[in-house]
Amino acid sequence: MTKENVQGASEEEPQGQSKKGLKKQQKEAEKAAKKAEKQAKLAADQQEADEDDFAKDRYGVCPMVQSRQKLDRALVRVQDLTPEKAEQQIWVRARIHTSRAKGKQCFLVLRHQQFTVQALIAVGDHASKQMVKFAANLTKESIIDVEAVVKKVDQKIESCSQQDVELHVERIFVISQSEPRLPLQLEDAVRPEGDGDEEGRATVNQDTRLDNRVIDLRTTTSQAIFRLQSGVCQLFRDTLINKGFVEIQTPKIISAASEGGANVFTVSYFKTSAYLAQSPQLYKQMCICADFDKVFCVGPVFRAEDSNTHRHLTEFVGLDIEMAFNYHYHEVVDSITDTMVQIFKGLHDRFQTEIQTVNKQYPSEPFKFLEPTLRLEYKEGVAMLKAAGVEMGDEDDLSTPNEKLLGRLVKEKYDTDFYVLDKYPLAVRPFYTMPDPNNPKYSNSYDMFMRGEEILSGAQRVHDAQLLTERAMHHGIDLEKIKAYIDSFRYGAPPHAGGGIGLERVTMLYLGLHNIRQTSMFPRDPKRLTP
Amino acid sequence: MALRELSSLEKCLGLKKPTKYSTQGERKVPVLQNNNGAALVGLVTIASHLVHEAKKAELLGNSAEDRAVVQQWLEYRIARVDNCPKDELKVILKELNQYLGDKVYLAGNVFTLADILMYYGIHHIVVELAIQEKERFLNITRWFDHIQHYPGVRHHLPPVVVLRNRVYPSGHH
Repeated sequence: MTKENVQGASEEEPQGQSKKGLKKQQKEAEKAAKKAEKQAKLAADQQEADEDDFAKDRYGVCPMVQSRQKLDRALVRVQDLTPEKAEQQIWVRARIHTSRAKGKQCFLVLRHQQFTVQALIAVGDHASKQMVKFAANLTKESIIDVEAVVKKVDQKIESCSQQDVELHVERIFVISQSEPRLPLQLEDAVRPEGDGDEEGRATVNQDTRLDNRVIDLRTTTSQAIFRLQSGVCQLFRDTLINKGFVEIQTPKIISAASEGGANVFTVSYFKTSAYLAQSPQLYKQMCICADFDKVFCVGPVFRAEDSNTHRHLTEFVGLDIEMAFNYHYHEVVDSITDTMVQIFKGLHDRFQTEIQTVNKQYPSEPFKFLEPTLRLEYKEGVAMLKAAGVEMGDEDDLSTPNEKLLGRLVKEKYDTDFYVLDKYPLAVRPFYTMPDPNNPKYSNSYDMFMRGEEILSGAQRVHDAQLLTERAMHHGIDLEKIKAYIDSFRYGAPPHAGGGIGLERVTMLYLGLHNIRQTSMFPRDPKRLTP
Repeated sequence: MALRELSSLEKCLGLKKPTKYSTQGERKVPVLQNNNGAALVGLVTIASHLVHEAKKAELLGNSAEDRAVVQQWLEYRIARVDNCPKDELKVILKELNQYLGDKVYLAGNVFTLADILMYYGIHHIVVELAIQEKERFLNITRWFDHIQHYPGVRHHLPPVVVLRNRVYPSGHH
């Protein structure tokens, strides 16, 4: 800055000050006026608020429920709110799914698990303006208790599960408040993928869901999926118990890798190390040698496979079966397929609500199966693939794309989503698989498929210690490591066979979903260890 | 490649005497040396000449319009299909698929040279398509299956398996 400019500036100053000063003063005056206005309004509001709130004791935030008192009050579940309860005054505990205020009215949608109902608070005999305002300001997902009268509605409320009734709220209390900013919006989480892109509305991606699993699990779709999964487990147990099976529990901390050394987790075990079981295989078989005849077990399976695919987890729930048979391993195959069919039937009969709920977000074709279950020989499967133009050798293993294509061809030819492929080539099966007596290149082993994806791998097991030793040597396995296993067959072992399915995979494929993380509550994969 | 096509074409047209061709240039453009000294250069030129020799001019189209359409597709074959880059492939397949939506043959509702040369030209693409893609480009697959079974057409090329029924329901995957 030159001296002249400085001078100029100071010369201007007195004039500038008056101009600037005037402006400044004006601005300050405006500000003060606005502030005064605001304060006056606040005071007026406050006055209004204190003024005559006749409903003051009909709403509010309850003190934290610390089991201070035993209230003899029956709470009705949202799913039980039907026209039969019309005009009854009842209490409901539910979450606030959405809230919308319009002048003197506030519409809430209350949600409990898969069910939603509309609730109305209007200024009137029971509710004051302040109460309506209170309701409108409640945060989503807060748990509230409402006392309301059930009213029948003339027009069906399409957006709720309880379409024929509405609640007219008389009292409303907050039991547990939710923070206002949710990590994900439940409406977004339930929106089908296609819709999101078209209408510019958001859907929630999988990682966000899994990071905030607790909120994601509250959605109607998640509730339906896991209820159905619970059904799969229950049907599995019930069917097998009815067939005379015994449920066993096998150890998960073991001294030697059961399926092969590569994909096993190591844990430190006092002064040495141990492994997490990759399958209950060895113990199932030992139970058969201990004369339990027919056993099954439900428990975690740990596979340290560094596969980041849509169908692999590092920890999943295995439903395993092992059975002694009389003369032919098909006795076992038939028993397993019958169990699967009973599960499918049970799901179809008892879980239609859940299946429909899932289909709303993830549409898919209903699951089809044949009775008796379709069983194809491996050779036939290869022939079908070759006829469709696939080039493969007769004794090659099926690659995943070929498995899927074979599933499609079978669906087209036989109209079934579930089938068994029997007599796999011996070379592609584990060492404990019994070879085919008529053709040494094949084995008494089988895989079962749902919607073209493998769900069960099983076989007749080698129950002769000497043959087992030969097969192990042929596969280059260290005999020392499996000494205890081989020993269990030395003192009379019945012929037996079995197989295992993955709970998450069966649920996923039954519902026609495409990622196994959707059917695992807190999934574990190479990249995820929490929640 | 082009030479094998031409010899297959000769067999298809019923020409008894196999002709001797030479090639020119990097792209191995086929050349047919005529008796009177003039040389015919280019697959389409030679193919048309062979059609006339075999006295099967109808294979080039019956009306003026049909002849024009045949020429258009022959040019398409040389200009777009031959040596097309990978990202162009889907575009070509889409175009052809849409065009064949309501046609049995490429030109004039009759079997023409355009069908033969287009079949030779896209064979290497179709043979690589997965079943799902063959179903996506359903019209091309239908036309292709028809032409490859047309008596006398398929000589040097392996047959492509086409399933009779759809295996992938439309709209899924």
